[in-house]
Amino acid sequence: MTNMTSQQRKLVYLIGIVVLLIPIIWLSLPSDGKDAPGGVLSQLRSQYELGEADLGDVDASSAAMNFALLGMRGMAVNVLWKDLDQQKDTKRWAEMQATTESIVRLQPHFEKVWDFNGWNLAYNTSAEWDAVPDRYYWVKQGAKFLKRGVERNKRSTELYYRTGKVIQHKVGYADESADYRKFFVSDPDPVFKNGPDPVVNPEAKDNFLVGREWFEAACVRELARPQHILDRSLFRSTPARCLFDYAQALQKEGKFGEETRAAWDHARKDWTESYGRETFHALIGPEESDIMLEMTAEEIKQQAGTPDDELRVRKAVDAYQKMTNYRYWRTRALAEAEPEMSEAHRFVFDAKQAYKAQEFDNARTAAFKGMEGFDKILKRDEYSSLTDEDILCEECLLGWKIWDDIYQVSGDKIPEEFPLKWLLQMKSDNSQIMGNVNKQFKRLFLDNK
Amino acid sequence: MYFDPNEYLLNPFISFLNWVVVVGALTFVVLFVSMLNLLTTKGMSGIGIFFDELGGMAADLFQLSPRRIWALTRLTYTEAIRRKALAVFVVFGLLFMFAGWFMGDSKEIKPDQVKVYISFVLTAISWLTLPVVLLLCCFGIPEDIRLRSIHTVVTKPARRVEIVLGRMIGIWLIGCLVLTVMAIVGHFWIVRQIPADSQPLLTCRVPVYGTEMEFLDREGNSARSGVNVGDIWIFRSYIEGATKARARWRFIKVDESVLDSDGNLNFENSFSAFRSYKGDMTRPLFYDIKLYNPEKNLAYTTDPQPVNEFRHKLDKIPRKVTVDDVQYDILKDFVTANKDLLIEVSCIDREQYIGMARSDLFIRMPDRPFWMGYWKAILGISLTLLLITMIGVSASTMVKGPIAAVLTFVIYFLSLKDNHQFMDQLVFGQVQGGGFLESVYRLVMHLGPSAELPANPAFAVIQFFDWLLNNFLWLCRHVIPYSQYFNMPEFVANGFDVPLDTSIIPSLLVTSAFIIPCVVMGYFALRIRELESK
Repeated sequence: MTNMTSQQRKLVYLIGIVVLLIPIIWLSLPSDGKDAPGGVLSQLRSQYELGEADLGDVDASSAAMNFALLGMRGMAVNVLWKDLDQQKDTKRWAEMQATTESIVRLQPHFEKVWDFNGWNLAYNTSAEWDAVPDRYYWVKQGAKFLKRGVERNKRSTELYYRTGKVIQHKVGYADESADYRKFFVSDPDPVFKNGPDPVVNPEAKDNFLVGREWFEAACVRELARPQHILDRSLFRSTPARCLFDYAQALQKEGKFGEETRAAWDHARKDWTESYGRETFHALIGPEESDIMLEMTAEEIKQQAGTPDDELRVRKAVDAYQKMTNYRYWRTRALAEAEPEMSEAHRFVFDAKQAYKAQEFDNARTAAFKGMEGFDKILKRDEYSSLTDEDILCEECLLGWKIWDDIYQVSGDKIPEEFPLKWLLQMKSDNSQIMGNVNKQFKRLFLDNK
Repeated sequence: MYFDPNEYLLNPFISFLNWVVVVGALTFVVLFVSMLNLLTTKGMSGIGIFFDELGGMAADLFQLSPRRIWALTRLTYTEAIRRKALAVFVVFGLLFMFAGWFMGDSKEIKPDQVKVYISFVLTAISWLTLPVVLLLCCFGIPEDIRLRSIHTVVTKPARRVEIVLGRMIGIWLIGCLVLTVMAIVGHFWIVRQIPADSQPLLTCRVPVYGTEMEFLDREGNSARSGVNVGDIWIFRSYIEGATKARARWRFIKVDESVLDSDGNLNFENSFSAFRSYKGDMTRPLFYDIKLYNPEKNLAYTTDPQPVNEFRHKLDKIPRKVTVDDVQYDILKDFVTANKDLLIEVSCIDREQYIGMARSDLFIRMPDRPFWMGYWKAILGISLTLLLITMIGVSASTMVKGPIAAVLTFVIYFLSLKDNHQFMDQLVFGQVQGGGFLESVYRLVMHLGPSAELPANPAFAVIQFFDWLLNNFLWLCRHVIPYSQYFNMPEFVANGFDVPLDTSIIPSLLVTSAFIIPCVVMGYFALRIRELESK
């Protein structure tokens, strides 16, 4: 080589470059439709759906940034994560959000990044703020962020679920849920002119119904790509559970008319006819077999080949029903369709309102009627299992607590016998239920709800 | 939001003493290294040469020619242009064309988001101009020596000090040119990115901070801090509501100038709320502000005010206030004979807490326009450029370009806030696990930082070397500038004007402290090194 002239050396370099380019071009030849599938890399990309467009919407800025950083992406991401953590600790929210944006541009297809940051915005950041509209803003930011994550990762089952979870759980079950649910259809930001934020709620629906749509989409994707969040039977129950949440929320807000009964009926049908008829793989003896949560005796017999297996299938169905609380919700939905049940809810609601307004006689009368209504329903054989679940028991006992408290305050003698006395005796040792009842009772002293 | 401008507050007398110490130390280090170099290369005769050169330099200083310096400056400037220094505008252009993509939706802009835009512009400008200047100043003289073009200069009646100064000024000027163009574009970019209805957010608040802050606990006794509510970040301390817990501030030298044009005294705060129980979430937590004058046994308390968390809350107190049906003048009746104004803040809500730090409450003077603070921040960047130019040019007179560039970069890197603070912790023994060698020993032996080490001679040697290294680090700590003083963009990004006392003057002092040692070092290096060597 040393004897070569400069020109010769350059020629050798050029030949070397051309020789090396040939395999590179062959490997990375772009696809030109079905007739020309392209090079090996292109074919593998199509086979495993790893192309940017296959994964979700293409973000030009993200792709440009990753390209410009060459191999330094990992380092840049590490620095950004460190900054994010520091900004969160020092409550620099705008900077934290900007850093989050940078991170997702560098890691657009790392689902956990979207998941973690969406959760961080909706749950952690929102809790740092004091004013409820501010809290809601950050909950919304979390939901919007996750929604963008879904758009960038359309095959992701878990991101659909997470988006639904924020809308269903954070908006619907936070301590501030009464306000959040109102804000969900009528945003406090004047920009939206009393309407919803169209990014999270374009059709101005109830949060539980929007959450249900996300869960439904997650269930559709789950058929193609498994999730690792919940047991499959629980995961697939989420759309139907949203309908129960919706019906309960209507009651909580004092709506006891046809709308609420229809909501319960819709929830029951969805629970038993749609979710209940889904097939799950259960271990029956040494082998897996398909079962459904809503199976008739005949279907069980057909599914099991032998009497032994029939017993095993029955046990498996029972186990799954227990895990998903299936029977409770089925019974509850049936009970809620009863006019007596609806009336009992209304009386307890009226008792709470009257108690808040310090109309104690009205409160005592309404609470007693509510207790009577619940007493009748719960004593019926077909609904007796409802006492196994805490939420309904807490509502019943809250009615009793109001009734009892008014007696205590007024100094009147408390009657020896009263409706739901048996339920009180049954649950008085349950510190969780009694604690929740006391907590809810104390909240009545606050005049805002 | 976190920003504590008082962090950088300097005592003028101590600052001046520090300046003298730093200048003296740097000059001493330079002279000592030069003499050591002469002694090793020339033997004992080096001492004579050293003092001859010292005299020569003093003579040069008295015979400096502005005309020759300017000619060398122009030479450097032209050279930098020919080396395509202005190509940095291409990167700048690309960055600003696509920056909007990464900044989020500007239609939804919130007050705190303005900070992100301003920070981005000023950071981008800094990080684009610094490498340009660093490379120009570190490679200029070594390249001249390599190409022997320096002979065309040194053979002229140009003095070595003038060469060094000409280089420094030339490179700094080209840095300033690049900086100015970028700053103008950056200013328009910020204004254009912020929607019209959010433009008022671009302002420079002028705060007057309390010089002292103290807490009273729930019994009313003086306390070093308030309650720690379990926050990871202990910047703020909390006071409990409906108790005797208070936070007190003392504002000094209060006179007419603190009032606005309507005669109101404006207090701005950024208190934080902490609820021990949620209660009625639709109702904010409340605080009140008490102005009191112990000399006259007089106090005025404002109406309860809601906490506006993570935002600025302005409380206007009129000059004339009524207490028990008697009207008082705030300046005449509440300001003490020493011109102090005492303020007390309490939380109204029982079992709830309000958090505050010293910089969370200040008297807000009339605002200044945004451009004023913005250009002060640019001044801060230009001073950083000057500092780097001086260090880089003087380093390049002693070592080759790449080494000078690495050296200058390392000095700049160590001058950054976090790094300087880490150095402080090492010097003052606040880092667990000992010094360099001890840490290596612990790492190799898998010993935790708090584990006891055996008392043997080997370990005594380790500790001795660590002691030596630590002393060297102490020297470095005093010589490496603290660039936090130059961090004027942080003030502007947080919506404040850049203060003279805590930022501009300290940065000017630090910069000026480097002029003499850097020029001396450059002069000696050019005098004593062999210019024929490549």
